[in-house]
Amino acid sequence: MDRTERLLDLVALLLDAHEPVSWAELKESFPDDYGSGSDEATERKFERDKAELLELGIPLTYVQGDEDRKDGYLLDRSAYYLPEPGFTPEEMAVLYAAGSAALASGAFPGRHDLQHALRKIGFFAGGELATPRVRMELGAVRETAAVPEHLEALWAAASARKWVEIVYASPKRPEPSTRKVDPYGLVLRRGVWSLVGFCHLREGLRTFHVHRIRALKMNASKPRTHDFEVPADFAIDAHVPHAPWQWGIEPPVEVRLELQGPLAAQAGAHFPDARVERRGEHTEVVLRVTLLDALLKHVLALWPQARVVSPEPARARFRALAQAVASRHGARA
Amino acid sequence: MSDVHERLRRLLFVVPYVARHRGVTVDALAKQLGVSREELLRDLELLTMVGRPPFQPDDFIDLHVENDRVWVDLDQRFSKPPRLTGPEAAALASAAELLRPAAQSALASALAKLEKVLPAQAKRLYRELGSAVNARSLASEELGTLTRAVEERRELEFDYAGRGSTAAERRHVEPVEVFNHRGQWYLYGWDLGRGSERLFRLDRMTAIRRMDRTFSPRSMPPARVPDPAERGEVRVRFTAASAPYLRERFGGEARELADGGVEVKVSGEERWLVQWILSFGGEAEVLEPAWAREAVSRAAMRALDGTR
Repeated sequence: MDRTERLLDLVALLLDAHEPVSWAELKESFPDDYGSGSDEATERKFERDKAELLELGIPLTYVQGDEDRKDGYLLDRSAYYLPEPGFTPEEMAVLYAAGSAALASGAFPGRHDLQHALRKIGFFAGGELATPRVRMELGAVRETAAVPEHLEALWAAASARKWVEIVYASPKRPEPSTRKVDPYGLVLRRGVWSLVGFCHLREGLRTFHVHRIRALKMNASKPRTHDFEVPADFAIDAHVPHAPWQWGIEPPVEVRLELQGPLAAQAGAHFPDARVERRGEHTEVVLRVTLLDALLKHVLALWPQARVVSPEPARARFRALAQAVASRHGARA
Repeated sequence: MSDVHERLRRLLFVVPYVARHRGVTVDALAKQLGVSREELLRDLELLTMVGRPPFQPDDFIDLHVENDRVWVDLDQRFSKPPRLTGPEAAALASAAELLRPAAQSALASALAKLEKVLPAQAKRLYRELGSAVNARSLASEELGTLTRAVEERRELEFDYAGRGSTAAERRHVEPVEVFNHRGQWYLYGWDLGRGSERLFRLDRMTAIRRMDRTFSPRSMPPARVPDPAERGEVRVRFTAASAPYLRERFGGEARELADGGVEVKVSGEERWLVQWILSFGGEAEVLEPAWAREAVSRAAMRALDGTR
């Protein structure tokens, strides 16, 4: 019998049963599958089937009998059926709109899980769900064909806590290297997905851009055994910053910028995590910077709406960058 | 995810779904399940063989396809789909983070309700996995004003400072769509003052006000964020140090140079071009046309002079 069919039959049998179904009865009900072959082989087969059902969220348990009932497997019906979550239209709209936007973007980890989740929460909704008017577009790079597939594999590996082996090359290290990584999580920033995990090669936490992964393999042995646990104090937010000057490459410095014009009004939105100080006519922001050049190049592009106020070394470096652009374009200082 | 897992999950959903939507067409059901018509028909055929041992006629799921419509006799066993699994709930929650700025409280209460309907085992996995994906977007809470205005088809007014402009202007817009492009939130709509469709960046909008007046949607081309890096007439060369990043962005359109650098051709929209070149801090050089070289040079000198 086809495995999918057998598993469905098993669910049908257990959903109907009003008392525990014993192993002997299961063997009798599925003579070709559990009833023939060595005890060890059939039991292993049933254990695999049971594990598959548990992964699907089917509450299958083994109960020890007592005076009133016999030993056997029981499916807890009250825990099987999806209850109505009772979302308000607004709650439903936000889940549905965000979920659909994530799916439509073409690259979201756990795509299949997300599809099923949306279907399930939509199960009780009457009538057609409105087409969400929210979209997400990714794509800061050209070569992204393998990204959806790699995200899906990384999601599966992160769920199952299995290590992955990746072939990785970056602009800084163009020579492809093969590494074993414990995938702790995935982060989306500025349209680019990153993997954060423990790199066995470097023996530490590392961040990898998913589009730079050339090949990916999940550890296939013992699929139901965890290879690693994510440390309790791991916070994925701390590893992939929202802005390029927060990359944690240099010792932190506090940089003060003065903002003018429309940018002053948008200080908070433009410089997340900055301290914003209104000083009469103009606005200043104080940023914690761990990659100074990235901030200074950004400020240079915003000129004259943004200026570097302090510290002096940052101002000097800013002048050097402006000078470099000017010199390359034939201007005399 | 194994094929068996995926298929089983789909099939456990099909029966309750059809029981609730009797006579659904094969095509509509295939669309709902995200599979091809052929795949669905194979699924349905398998389902007709599913039942409980000892497989007497009454023990089978009574499902049939007639005139391209799918029917199932009420099957109490499969009246509802199974609960959400941990990974399903976690995937939904991490996608929902995308709209957190727009719907703080609705999102928080939705996630609380979601967690409540999870079985204990799934709840544990949901909590562990919930922190594994972070797709949170940064935006002001005004995003919610925009999404509501789009839904309710109500006009919007806001101050807008376009790229490089020095003062904000009041705009009056029929909002059509809100979308996130490479982490940046945009509003697309019909600008009543200018009489044309326009694209606005949320972080350049201030004093947003949702009006009482509603509108009926016009026919407009789909929103598209212009990509100035698309082929244009301005030739720019990059040093070897920055070349790998340009290769990632431009793919085969980045021409290799003998010194390890690359050359690309980009749009001549002046404000964008100058800002873009400046953002490379000396790693980029405009080769031609001359006006573009001069514009970059002037901008760099002004920044230099202003930071003495």
